[in-house]
Amino acid sequence: MRFEDVELGDELPVEHPDTSLPKIEQWCEAADQHFARFVDHEAAKAEGLPGALVPGIMSQGFLLAMIHRWAPGCTVHKIDTVFRGPLVIETELTITGAVTDTDDETRMAEIDLTIATEEGRTGVIGTALVSFAG
Amino acid sequence: MSEENPLDLEAIRSEWLGVEFDERTFEPEASRMIAWAEACGETDPRFLDENHPDFQAPPNMTTIFNSGRFLPEGFPNIGSGFGIDGGKTVECLAPIRAGDVLTGTATIADVFDKTGRSGTMVFIVQRMTFSNQSGEPVSVVDWKTIRGI
Repeated sequence: MRFEDVELGDELPVEHPDTSLPKIEQWCEAADQHFARFVDHEAAKAEGLPGALVPGIMSQGFLLAMIHRWAPGCTVHKIDTVFRGPLVIETELTITGAVTDTDDETRMAEIDLTIATEEGRTGVIGTALVSFAG
Repeated sequence: MSEENPLDLEAIRSEWLGVEFDERTFEPEASRMIAWAEACGETDPRFLDENHPDFQAPPNMTTIFNSGRFLPEGFPNIGSGFGIDGGKTVECLAPIRAGDVLTGTATIADVFDKTGRSGTMVFIVQRMTFSNQSGEPVSVVDWKTIRGI
């Protein structure tokens, strides 16, 4: 995808990231984040949480992977995410993105990002600044 | 200082913004970079194939390379406990390669308040600025923590 191919309002293909326990455990190992609240529903509930949580930084990784799939070879220059509510592992999350600005001078696009729960509640919002390979 | 917020945030900002209070080194390993990318559903070979000519760390991997200290020694007590995670911003300045030796420097980037239905909340932004072994800036990460007062 080239900058010229991108238009204001373009939507990235909707994705449903893998939130299975093995994937969460793999990320926790790679990130050296060994907290029961990420991998053990009962331990998380004992902390007052609705269940084991997808780590916030991992959810940011889901969004980056979506952007890289949408625009192969692109570069993400900045990503900003705000965690608005818990995302529980082993549930179906829906991640979306839409182009909200393009800059002819820098040849970058700004993308609005969201992650929603099965119930339709928004758990993460964010933006990313992206340049393109072509 | 406002009626809602008894803290003198201007004085705190004046004294603490930009003050470097910690420095650490980090060495990202290829195996961890790949495992992280795979777990997040990455399919771009730049992040998965160690032999790719542009193999690099996932752009937000520096978010886990944080300082052992969240706040500088002597920083005023604001609220209680560690606060709520208010989100993270990552600025990617250059690719991070396996075997790079990154130096991260911690500063307080901002302190500000917002007042809403649940009262006044103070936002503390801790910034880690990373350079590689050549001194090239590669990443800037802001951690926002929210504390009630």
